[in-house]
Amino acid sequence: MNATVETTSRARKHIRGAAITGMGIVAPNGVGTDAFWKGVREGITFLDRLTREGCEDSPLRIAGQVRGFEPGSVVEERYLVQTDRFTHFAMTAAELALDDARLPRKDMSPYAVGVVTASGSGGGEFGQRELQQLWGKGPRYVGPYQSIAWFYAASTGQISIRGGFKGPCGVVANDEAGGLDALAHACRSIRHGADAIVVGAAEAPLAPYSVVCQLGYEEMSLARDAGRAYLPFTADACGFAPGEGGAMLIVEEEGAALRRGARVRGRILGHGATFTGPSMWERSREGLAQAIRVALDEAECAPEEIDVVFADALGTPEADRAEALAIADALGAHGTRVPVTAPKTGFGRAYCAAPVLDVASAVLAMEHRVVPPTPYVTDVCHDLDLVTGSSRACGARTALVLSRGLMGCNAALVLRGPEGDM
Amino acid sequence: MPSQLSYSDLASLMKRCAGLTVDPELMRTRPDSTFEEYGLDSLGLLAIVGELENQYGTPVEPGAESSKTPGDFLDVVNTSLTTGA
Repeated sequence: MNATVETTSRARKHIRGAAITGMGIVAPNGVGTDAFWKGVREGITFLDRLTREGCEDSPLRIAGQVRGFEPGSVVEERYLVQTDRFTHFAMTAAELALDDARLPRKDMSPYAVGVVTASGSGGGEFGQRELQQLWGKGPRYVGPYQSIAWFYAASTGQISIRGGFKGPCGVVANDEAGGLDALAHACRSIRHGADAIVVGAAEAPLAPYSVVCQLGYEEMSLARDAGRAYLPFTADACGFAPGEGGAMLIVEEEGAALRRGARVRGRILGHGATFTGPSMWERSREGLAQAIRVALDEAECAPEEIDVVFADALGTPEADRAEALAIADALGAHGTRVPVTAPKTGFGRAYCAAPVLDVASAVLAMEHRVVPPTPYVTDVCHDLDLVTGSSRACGARTALVLSRGLMGCNAALVLRGPEGDM
Repeated sequence: MPSQLSYSDLASLMKRCAGLTVDPELMRTRPDSTFEEYGLDSLGLLAIVGELENQYGTPVEPGAESSKTPGDFLDVVNTSLTTGA
Protein backbone atom coordinates (compact mmCIF):
# COMPACT_ATOMS: atom_id res chain seq x y z
CA MET A 1 0.00 0.00 0.00
CA ASN A 2 2.80 2.38 0.95
CA ALA A 3 4.66 1.51 -2.19
CA THR A 4 1.57 2.31 -4.25
CA VAL A 5 1.12 5.66 -2.55
CA GLU A 6 4.77 6.56 -3.02
CA THR A 7 4.65 5.62 -6.68
CA THR A 8 1.52 7.68 -7.15
CA SER A 9 3.07 10.65 -5.34
CA ARG A 10 6.15 10.50 -7.49
CA ALA A 11 4.07 10.20 -10.60
CA ARG A 12 1.90 13.11 -9.59
CA LYS A 13 4.82 15.49 -9.63
CA HIS A 14 4.99 14.98 -13.36
CA ILE A 15 1.29 14.73 -14.00
CA ARG A 16 -0.33 17.47 -15.97
CA GLY A 17 -3.33 18.27 -13.79
CA ALA A 18 -6.82 18.97 -15.11
CA ALA A 19 -8.52 22.22 -14.17
CA ILE A 20 -12.10 23.16 -14.96
CA THR A 21 -12.03 26.69 -16.36
CA GLY A 22 -15.43 26.97 -17.99
CA MET A 23 -18.93 25.55 -17.69
CA GLY A 24 -21.97 25.73 -19.96
CA ILE A 25 -25.36 24.30 -19.05
CA VAL A 26 -28.72 23.66 -20.70
CA ALA A 27 -31.15 22.09 -18.23
CA PRO A 28 -34.83 22.11 -17.26
CA ASN A 29 -33.92 24.74 -14.66
CA GLY A 30 -32.45 27.08 -17.21
CA VAL A 31 -29.83 27.88 -19.82
CA GLY A 32 -26.50 29.04 -18.43
CA THR A 33 -24.85 28.35 -15.09
CA ASP A 34 -26.53 31.27 -13.31
CA ALA A 35 -30.06 30.10 -14.10
CA PHE A 36 -29.12 26.50 -13.38
CA TRP A 37 -27.51 27.32 -10.05
CA LYS A 38 -30.39 29.49 -8.91
CA GLY A 39 -32.74 26.54 -9.33
CA VAL A 40 -30.35 24.04 -7.77
CA ARG A 41 -29.41 26.22 -4.82
CA GLU A 42 -33.00 27.03 -3.96
CA GLY A 43 -34.12 23.46 -4.50
CA ILE A 44 -36.73 24.65 -6.99
CA THR A 45 -38.65 21.81 -8.60
CA PHE A 46 -38.82 21.46 -12.37
CA LEU A 47 -40.39 18.06 -12.85
CA ASP A 48 -43.80 18.24 -14.45
CA ARG A 49 -46.21 16.63 -16.88
CA LEU A 50 -44.52 15.35 -20.02
CA THR A 51 -46.04 17.48 -22.76
CA ARG A 52 -43.77 16.80 -25.72
CA GLU A 53 -45.83 16.29 -28.89
CA GLY A 54 -46.61 12.63 -29.37
CA CYS A 55 -46.11 11.79 -25.69
CA GLU A 56 -49.58 12.87 -24.54
CA ASP A 57 -50.76 9.28 -24.01
CA SER A 58 -47.48 7.89 -22.76
CA PRO A 59 -47.45 5.89 -19.53
CA LEU A 60 -44.48 8.11 -18.62
CA ARG A 61 -46.15 11.13 -17.05
CA ILE A 62 -43.46 13.08 -15.26
CA ALA A 63 -40.13 14.29 -16.63
CA GLY A 64 -37.72 17.21 -16.55
CA GLN A 65 -38.15 19.09 -19.83
CA VAL A 66 -36.07 21.93 -21.25
CA ARG A 67 -38.70 24.49 -22.24
CA GLY A 68 -38.41 27.50 -24.50
CA PHE A 69 -34.97 26.50 -25.74
CA GLU A 70 -33.77 28.57 -28.72
CA PRO A 71 -30.58 26.99 -30.04
CA GLY A 72 -30.53 29.42 -32.97
CA SER A 73 -29.49 32.22 -30.64
CA VAL A 74 -26.14 30.51 -30.06
CA VAL A 75 -25.58 28.02 -32.90
CA GLU A 76 -25.85 28.70 -36.65
CA GLU A 77 -28.77 27.18 -38.57
CA ARG A 78 -26.46 25.15 -40.83
CA TYR A 79 -25.49 23.07 -37.79
CA LEU A 80 -29.02 22.90 -36.44
CA VAL A 81 -30.59 21.40 -39.58
CA GLN A 82 -28.18 18.51 -39.57
CA THR A 83 -28.27 17.66 -35.88
CA ASP A 84 -30.63 16.31 -33.23
CA ARG A 85 -31.85 18.10 -30.14
CA PHE A 86 -29.20 16.36 -28.02
CA THR A 87 -26.51 17.95 -30.18
CA HIS A 88 -28.30 21.32 -30.05
CA PHE A 89 -28.00 21.11 -26.26
CA ALA A 90 -24.36 20.02 -26.43
CA MET A 91 -23.31 22.67 -28.96
CA THR A 92 -25.06 25.41 -27.00
CA ALA A 93 -23.52 24.27 -23.71
CA ALA A 94 -20.09 24.04 -25.36
CA GLU A 95 -20.31 27.59 -26.68
CA LEU A 96 -21.37 28.87 -23.25
CA ALA A 97 -18.49 26.97 -21.64
CA LEU A 98 -15.95 28.35 -24.12
CA ASP A 99 -17.19 31.85 -23.40
CA ASP A 100 -17.02 31.22 -19.67
CA ALA A 101 -13.43 29.96 -19.92
CA ARG A 102 -12.42 32.82 -22.24
CA LEU A 103 -10.32 30.26 -24.03
CA PRO A 104 -7.95 32.18 -26.33
CA ARG A 105 -8.87 30.04 -29.33
CA LYS A 106 -7.11 32.23 -31.88
CA ASP A 107 -3.78 31.90 -30.09
CA MET A 108 -4.00 28.14 -29.61
CA SER A 109 -2.98 25.41 -32.01
CA PRO A 110 -6.14 23.68 -33.26
CA TYR A 111 -4.39 20.40 -32.43
CA ALA A 112 -4.07 21.40 -28.77
CA VAL A 113 -7.84 21.39 -28.18
CA GLY A 114 -9.99 18.25 -28.25
CA VAL A 115 -13.61 17.30 -27.64
CA VAL A 116 -15.06 14.40 -25.64
CA THR A 117 -18.74 13.72 -25.07
CA ALA A 118 -20.70 10.88 -23.56
CA SER A 119 -24.02 9.72 -24.94
CA GLY A 120 -26.49 7.10 -23.86
CA SER A 121 -28.87 7.03 -26.79
CA GLY A 122 -27.89 9.41 -29.58
CA GLY A 123 -30.45 11.45 -31.49
CA GLY A 124 -33.87 9.88 -31.08
CA GLU A 125 -35.99 12.81 -32.20
CA PHE A 126 -34.18 13.28 -35.51
CA GLY A 127 -34.15 9.53 -36.04
CA GLN A 128 -37.88 9.24 -35.40
CA ARG A 129 -38.64 11.97 -37.93
CA GLU A 130 -36.60 10.24 -40.62
CA LEU A 131 -38.02 6.81 -39.81
CA GLN A 132 -41.51 8.27 -40.17
CA GLN A 133 -40.48 9.54 -43.60
CA LEU A 134 -39.15 6.09 -44.46
CA TRP A 135 -42.33 4.24 -43.54
CA GLY A 136 -44.74 7.03 -44.44
CA LYS A 137 -43.38 8.08 -47.82
CA GLY A 138 -40.49 5.81 -48.74
CA PRO A 139 -36.71 5.62 -48.63
CA ARG A 140 -36.23 8.52 -51.06
CA TYR A 141 -37.66 10.85 -48.43
CA VAL A 142 -35.06 10.04 -45.78
CA GLY A 143 -32.57 12.90 -45.63
CA PRO A 144 -28.85 12.20 -45.77
CA TYR A 145 -28.20 13.93 -42.45
CA GLN A 146 -29.89 10.98 -40.75
CA SER A 147 -26.60 9.17 -41.33
CA ILE A 148 -24.86 11.42 -38.82
CA ALA A 149 -27.53 13.09 -36.68
CA TRP A 150 -28.75 10.06 -34.71
CA PHE A 151 -25.24 8.87 -33.98
CA TYR A 152 -23.73 8.90 -30.48
CA ALA A 153 -20.66 10.67 -31.87
CA ALA A 154 -22.63 13.54 -33.44
CA SER A 155 -22.08 16.05 -30.64
CA THR A 156 -18.33 15.52 -30.44
CA GLY A 157 -18.05 15.75 -34.22
CA GLN A 158 -20.12 18.89 -34.63
CA ILE A 159 -18.48 20.73 -31.71
CA SER A 160 -15.12 19.82 -33.18
CA ILE A 161 -16.08 20.97 -36.69
CA ARG A 162 -17.71 24.19 -35.56
CA GLY A 163 -14.87 25.15 -33.23
CA GLY A 164 -12.07 23.90 -35.48
CA PHE A 165 -10.81 21.69 -32.63
CA LYS A 166 -8.50 19.09 -34.12
CA GLY A 167 -6.90 17.71 -30.96
CA PRO A 168 -7.78 14.39 -29.32
CA CYS A 169 -11.50 13.73 -29.71
CA GLY A 170 -13.57 10.91 -28.34
CA VAL A 171 -17.03 9.63 -27.57
CA VAL A 172 -18.09 7.49 -24.65
CA ALA A 173 -21.21 5.53 -25.61
CA ASN A 174 -22.37 4.34 -22.25
CA ASP A 175 -25.04 4.43 -19.59
CA GLU A 176 -25.24 7.22 -17.00
CA ALA A 177 -21.75 6.60 -15.60
CA GLY A 178 -20.32 7.50 -19.00
CA GLY A 179 -20.64 11.17 -18.12
CA LEU A 180 -17.91 10.78 -15.50
CA ASP A 181 -15.89 8.47 -17.75
CA ALA A 182 -15.84 11.23 -20.39
CA LEU A 183 -14.29 13.60 -17.85
CA ALA A 184 -11.69 10.97 -17.00
CA HIS A 185 -11.00 10.59 -20.72
CA ALA A 186 -10.45 14.34 -20.96
CA CYS A 187 -8.03 14.25 -18.01
CA ARG A 188 -6.03 11.50 -19.72
CA SER A 189 -5.84 13.58 -22.90
CA ILE A 190 -4.57 16.53 -20.85
CA ARG A 191 -2.03 14.26 -19.18
CA HIS A 192 -0.86 13.09 -22.59
CA GLY A 193 -0.28 16.59 -23.86
CA ALA A 194 -3.53 18.29 -24.90
CA ASP A 195 -3.91 21.86 -23.63
CA ALA A 196 -7.70 21.90 -23.40
CA ILE A 197 -10.63 19.54 -23.85
CA VAL A 198 -14.26 20.54 -24.37
CA VAL A 199 -15.97 17.76 -22.43
CA GLY A 200 -19.35 16.75 -21.12
CA ALA A 201 -22.65 15.24 -22.12
CA ALA A 202 -26.13 16.25 -23.21
CA GLU A 203 -29.14 14.04 -23.79
CA ALA A 204 -32.58 14.53 -25.33
CA PRO A 205 -34.47 11.38 -24.39
CA LEU A 206 -38.00 12.78 -24.39
CA ALA A 207 -39.06 12.34 -28.03
CA PRO A 208 -41.92 9.80 -28.37
CA TYR A 209 -39.73 7.08 -29.88
CA SER A 210 -37.08 7.53 -27.19
CA VAL A 211 -39.69 7.47 -24.44
CA VAL A 212 -41.10 4.19 -25.77
CA CYS A 213 -37.61 2.69 -25.64
CA GLN A 214 -37.28 3.69 -22.00
CA LEU A 215 -40.60 2.16 -20.98
CA GLY A 216 -38.71 -1.12 -20.68
CA TYR A 217 -36.67 0.23 -17.79
CA GLU A 218 -38.32 -1.06 -14.66
CA GLU A 219 -36.41 1.57 -12.68
CA MET A 220 -38.19 4.43 -14.47
CA SER A 221 -40.97 6.04 -12.47
CA LEU A 222 -44.45 6.04 -13.99
CA ALA A 223 -45.88 8.09 -11.13
CA ARG A 224 -48.57 10.59 -12.09
CA ASP A 225 -47.67 13.25 -9.57
CA ALA A 226 -44.48 15.32 -9.89
CA GLY A 227 -44.14 15.40 -6.11
CA ARG A 228 -44.08 11.63 -5.90
CA ALA A 229 -42.22 10.62 -9.05
CA TYR A 230 -38.58 10.71 -7.95
CA LEU A 231 -38.00 10.19 -4.24
CA PRO A 232 -34.67 8.44 -3.72
CA PHE A 233 -33.59 7.36 -0.23
CA THR A 234 -37.17 7.45 1.01
CA ALA A 235 -39.70 4.72 1.80
CA ASP A 236 -41.71 6.02 -1.18
CA ALA A 237 -38.90 5.52 -3.71
CA CYS A 238 -40.56 4.35 -6.94
CA GLY A 239 -37.91 4.92 -9.58
CA PHE A 240 -36.40 7.89 -11.34
CA ALA A 241 -37.90 10.63 -13.48
CA PRO A 242 -35.99 11.10 -16.75
CA GLY A 243 -34.74 14.53 -17.74
CA GLU A 244 -33.07 16.21 -20.69
CA GLY A 245 -30.28 18.74 -21.19
CA GLY A 246 -26.67 18.61 -20.22
CA ALA A 247 -23.45 20.35 -19.39
CA MET A 248 -20.16 20.92 -21.18
CA LEU A 249 -16.98 21.88 -19.38
CA ILE A 250 -13.65 23.27 -20.47
CA VAL A 251 -10.88 21.24 -18.88
CA GLU A 252 -7.37 22.66 -19.23
CA GLU A 253 -3.90 21.73 -18.19
CA GLU A 254 -3.76 23.46 -14.85
CA GLY A 255 -0.35 25.06 -15.23
CA ALA A 256 -1.20 26.52 -18.62
CA ALA A 257 -4.57 27.70 -17.36
CA LEU A 258 -2.94 29.54 -14.45
CA ARG A 259 -0.26 31.05 -16.71
CA ARG A 260 -2.87 32.52 -19.04
CA GLY A 261 -4.71 33.94 -16.05
CA ALA A 262 -7.76 31.71 -16.41
CA ARG A 263 -10.17 31.40 -13.55
CA VAL A 264 -9.77 27.87 -12.23
CA ARG A 265 -13.21 26.84 -11.03
CA GLY A 266 -12.31 23.35 -9.91
CA ARG A 267 -9.90 20.50 -10.40
CA ILE A 268 -10.51 16.88 -11.26
CA LEU A 269 -8.32 14.76 -9.01
CA GLY A 270 -9.45 11.19 -9.36
CA HIS A 271 -11.79 8.82 -11.17
CA GLY A 272 -12.76 5.20 -10.75
CA ALA A 273 -15.04 3.00 -12.83
CA THR A 274 -16.37 -0.54 -12.41
CA PHE A 275 -19.05 -2.78 -13.90
CA THR A 276 -21.44 -4.98 -11.96
CA GLY A 277 -24.18 -5.87 -14.45
CA PRO A 278 -27.45 -4.29 -15.61
CA SER A 279 -30.12 -3.83 -12.95
CA MET A 280 -28.15 -5.84 -10.41
CA TRP A 281 -28.41 -3.07 -7.87
CA GLU A 282 -27.43 -5.12 -4.86
CA ARG A 283 -24.12 -5.86 -6.58
CA SER A 284 -23.63 -2.19 -7.40
CA ARG A 285 -22.79 -1.72 -3.70
CA GLU A 286 -19.48 -3.47 -4.16
CA GLY A 287 -18.83 -1.93 -7.59
CA LEU A 288 -19.59 1.62 -6.53
CA ALA A 289 -17.53 1.29 -3.34
CA GLN A 290 -14.60 0.05 -5.41
CA ALA A 291 -15.00 2.94 -7.89
CA ILE A 292 -14.90 5.35 -4.95
CA ARG A 293 -11.75 3.72 -3.56
CA VAL A 294 -10.01 3.90 -6.93
CA ALA A 295 -11.00 7.55 -7.35
CA LEU A 296 -9.80 8.45 -3.83
CA ASP A 297 -6.55 6.60 -4.41
CA GLU A 298 -5.87 8.42 -7.65
CA ALA A 299 -6.75 11.70 -5.95
CA GLU A 300 -4.52 10.83 -2.97
CA CYS A 301 -7.47 11.80 -0.88
CA ALA A 302 -8.47 10.27 2.45
CA PRO A 303 -12.16 9.44 2.95
CA GLU A 304 -12.38 12.09 5.70
CA GLU A 305 -11.36 14.79 3.21
CA ILE A 306 -14.58 14.34 1.26
CA ASP A 307 -16.76 17.28 2.28
CA VAL A 308 -19.83 16.56 0.20
CA VAL A 309 -21.18 13.66 -1.85
CA PHE A 310 -23.35 14.12 -4.95
CA ALA A 311 -25.23 10.84 -4.96
CA ASP A 312 -26.34 8.81 -7.95
CA ALA A 313 -29.79 8.56 -6.30
CA LEU A 314 -31.39 6.11 -8.68
CA GLY A 315 -34.59 6.05 -6.67
CA THR A 316 -35.47 2.39 -6.21
CA PRO A 317 -35.28 0.89 -2.69
CA GLU A 318 -32.71 -1.73 -3.67
CA ALA A 319 -30.48 0.69 -5.57
CA ASP A 320 -30.68 3.37 -2.88
CA ARG A 321 -29.77 0.87 -0.19
CA ALA A 322 -26.80 -0.31 -2.26
CA GLU A 323 -25.60 3.27 -2.73
CA ALA A 324 -25.92 4.16 0.95
CA LEU A 325 -23.99 1.00 1.86
CA ALA A 326 -21.35 1.68 -0.81
CA ILE A 327 -20.75 5.15 0.63
CA ALA A 328 -20.39 3.60 4.08
CA ASP A 329 -18.12 0.84 2.78
CA ALA A 330 -15.79 3.27 1.03
CA LEU A 331 -15.84 6.22 3.45
CA GLY A 332 -16.25 4.33 6.72
CA ALA A 333 -17.89 6.16 9.61
CA HIS A 334 -17.36 9.41 7.70
CA GLY A 335 -19.92 8.15 5.20
CA THR A 336 -22.76 8.60 7.67
CA ARG A 337 -21.64 12.13 8.64
CA VAL A 338 -20.70 13.71 5.33
CA PRO A 339 -23.45 15.80 3.68
CA VAL A 340 -24.98 13.94 0.74
CA THR A 341 -27.19 15.56 -1.88
CA ALA A 342 -28.98 14.76 -5.13
CA PRO A 343 -30.09 17.97 -6.88
CA LYS A 344 -31.18 15.93 -9.89
CA THR A 345 -34.42 14.98 -8.12
CA GLY A 346 -35.50 18.53 -8.97
CA PHE A 347 -35.04 18.26 -12.74
CA GLY A 348 -34.70 14.61 -13.64
CA ARG A 349 -32.07 12.16 -14.58
CA ALA A 350 -30.61 12.99 -17.96
CA TYR A 351 -28.69 9.74 -18.46
CA CYS A 352 -25.02 10.49 -19.36
CA ALA A 353 -25.61 14.17 -18.71
CA ALA A 354 -26.80 13.56 -15.14
CA PRO A 355 -23.38 13.16 -13.51
CA VAL A 356 -21.90 15.99 -15.57
CA LEU A 357 -24.65 18.28 -14.28
CA ASP A 358 -23.71 16.99 -10.81
CA VAL A 359 -20.08 17.94 -11.43
CA ALA A 360 -21.26 21.42 -12.41
CA SER A 361 -23.39 21.56 -9.25
CA ALA A 362 -20.42 20.42 -7.16
CA VAL A 363 -18.18 23.15 -8.60
CA LEU A 364 -20.88 25.76 -7.97
CA ALA A 365 -21.52 24.41 -4.47
CA MET A 366 -17.84 24.76 -3.59
CA GLU A 367 -17.73 28.27 -5.09
CA HIS A 368 -20.80 29.40 -3.19
CA ARG A 369 -19.98 27.49 0.01
CA VAL A 370 -23.35 25.80 0.27
CA VAL A 371 -24.61 22.29 -0.34
CA PRO A 372 -27.80 22.42 -2.39
CA PRO A 373 -30.79 20.35 -1.29
CA THR A 374 -32.47 17.27 -2.72
CA PRO A 375 -35.83 18.61 -3.96
CA TYR A 376 -39.07 16.77 -3.19
CA VAL A 377 -37.34 14.51 -0.65
CA THR A 378 -38.20 14.79 3.03
CA ASP A 379 -38.05 11.60 5.11
CA VAL A 380 -34.81 9.74 4.48
CA CYS A 381 -34.85 6.06 5.40
CA HIS A 382 -31.13 5.34 5.06
CA ASP A 383 -28.18 6.09 7.28
CA LEU A 384 -27.10 9.14 5.28
CA ASP A 385 -26.97 12.83 6.05
CA LEU A 386 -29.02 13.75 2.98
CA VAL A 387 -29.45 17.52 2.60
CA THR A 388 -33.16 18.21 2.14
CA GLY A 389 -35.44 21.23 2.26
CA SER A 390 -33.02 24.12 1.74
CA SER A 391 -29.33 24.45 1.02
CA ARG A 392 -26.88 24.10 3.85
CA ALA A 393 -23.90 26.37 4.49
CA CYS A 394 -20.77 24.31 4.05
CA GLY A 395 -17.30 25.39 3.07
CA ALA A 396 -16.70 22.25 1.05
CA ARG A 397 -13.31 21.96 -0.61
CA THR A 398 -13.50 18.43 -1.93
CA ALA A 399 -16.50 16.77 -3.53
CA LEU A 400 -17.27 13.21 -4.54
CA VAL A 401 -19.66 12.68 -7.47
CA LEU A 402 -21.23 9.24 -7.94
CA SER A 403 -22.99 7.71 -10.88
CA ARG A 404 -24.44 4.33 -11.77
CA GLY A 405 -26.00 3.33 -15.03
CA LEU A 406 -28.94 1.15 -15.97
CA MET A 407 -26.56 -1.05 -17.95
CA GLY A 408 -24.39 -1.78 -14.93
CA CYS A 409 -21.55 0.73 -14.91
CA ASN A 410 -20.48 2.53 -11.73
CA ALA A 411 -18.25 5.56 -11.56
CA ALA A 412 -16.87 8.01 -9.01
CA LEU A 413 -15.09 11.32 -9.47
CA VAL A 414 -13.19 13.40 -6.90
CA LEU A 415 -13.18 17.16 -7.44
CA ARG A 416 -11.51 19.93 -5.51
CA GLY A 417 -12.27 23.62 -5.47
CA PRO A 418 -9.73 26.12 -6.79
CA GLU A 419 -8.15 27.01 -3.45
CA GLY A 420 -8.67 23.72 -1.74
CA ASP A 421 -5.19 22.25 -2.10
CA MET A 422 -3.55 20.74 0.93
CA MET B 1 -42.50 19.57 -67.91
CA PRO B 2 -40.54 20.98 -64.96
CA SER B 3 -39.04 24.39 -65.46
CA GLN B 4 -35.30 24.98 -65.36
CA LEU B 5 -33.64 25.35 -61.99
CA SER B 6 -32.44 28.89 -61.29
CA TYR B 7 -29.83 30.26 -58.89
CA SER B 8 -32.69 31.57 -56.83
CA ASP B 9 -34.21 28.06 -56.63
CA LEU B 10 -30.79 26.71 -55.65
CA ALA B 11 -30.45 29.30 -52.90
CA SER B 12 -33.86 28.28 -51.51
CA LEU B 13 -32.86 24.64 -51.56
CA MET B 14 -29.60 25.42 -49.79
CA LYS B 15 -31.62 27.20 -47.10
CA ARG B 16 -34.23 24.49 -46.74
CA CYS B 17 -31.97 21.44 -46.95
CA ALA B 18 -28.76 22.69 -45.38
CA GLY B 19 -29.67 25.73 -43.31
CA LEU B 20 -27.46 28.04 -45.39
CA THR B 21 -28.31 31.62 -46.27
CA VAL B 22 -26.71 32.36 -49.63
CA ASP B 23 -27.30 35.32 -51.94
CA PRO B 24 -28.46 33.89 -55.33
CA GLU B 25 -27.00 36.92 -57.12
CA LEU B 26 -23.58 36.09 -55.73
CA MET B 27 -23.81 32.58 -57.13
CA ARG B 28 -25.14 33.84 -60.46
CA THR B 29 -22.27 36.31 -60.90
CA ARG B 30 -19.71 33.80 -59.64
CA PRO B 31 -20.88 30.42 -60.98
CA ASP B 32 -17.40 29.00 -60.44
CA SER B 33 -17.33 29.79 -56.73
CA THR B 34 -17.39 26.53 -54.79
CA PHE B 35 -20.10 25.02 -52.62
CA GLU B 36 -17.42 24.67 -49.97
CA GLU B 37 -17.10 28.47 -49.85
CA TYR B 38 -20.81 28.67 -49.03
CA GLY B 39 -20.48 26.00 -46.34
CA LEU B 40 -22.35 23.31 -48.27
CA ASP B 41 -20.91 19.86 -47.63
CA SER B 42 -21.46 16.67 -49.61
CA LEU B 43 -24.37 15.53 -47.43
CA GLY B 44 -26.05 18.88 -47.93
CA LEU B 45 -25.72 18.59 -51.70
CA LEU B 46 -27.06 15.05 -51.53
CA ALA B 47 -30.07 16.34 -49.59
CA ILE B 48 -30.68 18.93 -52.34
CA VAL B 49 -30.50 16.28 -55.08
CA GLY B 50 -32.92 14.07 -53.14
CA GLU B 51 -35.31 16.98 -52.69
CA LEU B 52 -35.21 17.79 -56.42
CA GLU B 53 -35.80 14.18 -57.41
CA ASN B 54 -38.80 13.99 -55.11
CA GLN B 55 -40.15 17.29 -56.46
CA TYR B 56 -39.72 16.34 -60.10
CA GLY B 57 -40.54 12.68 -59.64
CA THR B 58 -37.60 11.78 -61.85
CA PRO B 59 -33.95 10.93 -61.17
CA VAL B 60 -31.37 13.64 -61.62
CA GLU B 61 -28.43 12.63 -63.78
CA PRO B 62 -25.64 10.90 -61.82
CA GLY B 63 -22.85 13.29 -60.97
CA ALA B 64 -25.03 16.15 -59.76
CA GLU B 65 -24.31 15.17 -56.17
CA SER B 66 -20.56 15.50 -56.73
CA SER B 67 -20.68 18.95 -58.39
CA LYS B 68 -18.20 21.35 -56.84
CA THR B 69 -19.75 24.65 -57.97
CA PRO B 70 -23.26 26.08 -58.37
CA GLY B 71 -22.61 26.55 -62.10
CA ASP B 72 -21.71 22.91 -62.66
CA PHE B 73 -24.63 21.77 -60.54
CA LEU B 74 -27.20 23.79 -62.50
CA ASP B 75 -25.70 22.57 -65.79
CA VAL B 76 -26.07 18.93 -64.80
CA VAL B 77 -29.53 19.34 -63.29
CA ASN B 78 -30.93 21.42 -66.12
CA THR B 79 -29.48 19.11 -68.77
CA SER B 80 -31.02 16.24 -66.89
CA LEU B 81 -34.40 18.00 -66.79
CA THR B 82 -34.29 18.77 -70.51
CA THR B 83 -33.29 15.28 -71.64
CA GLY B 84 -35.61 13.65 -69.11
CA ALA B 85 -38.60 15.66 -70.41
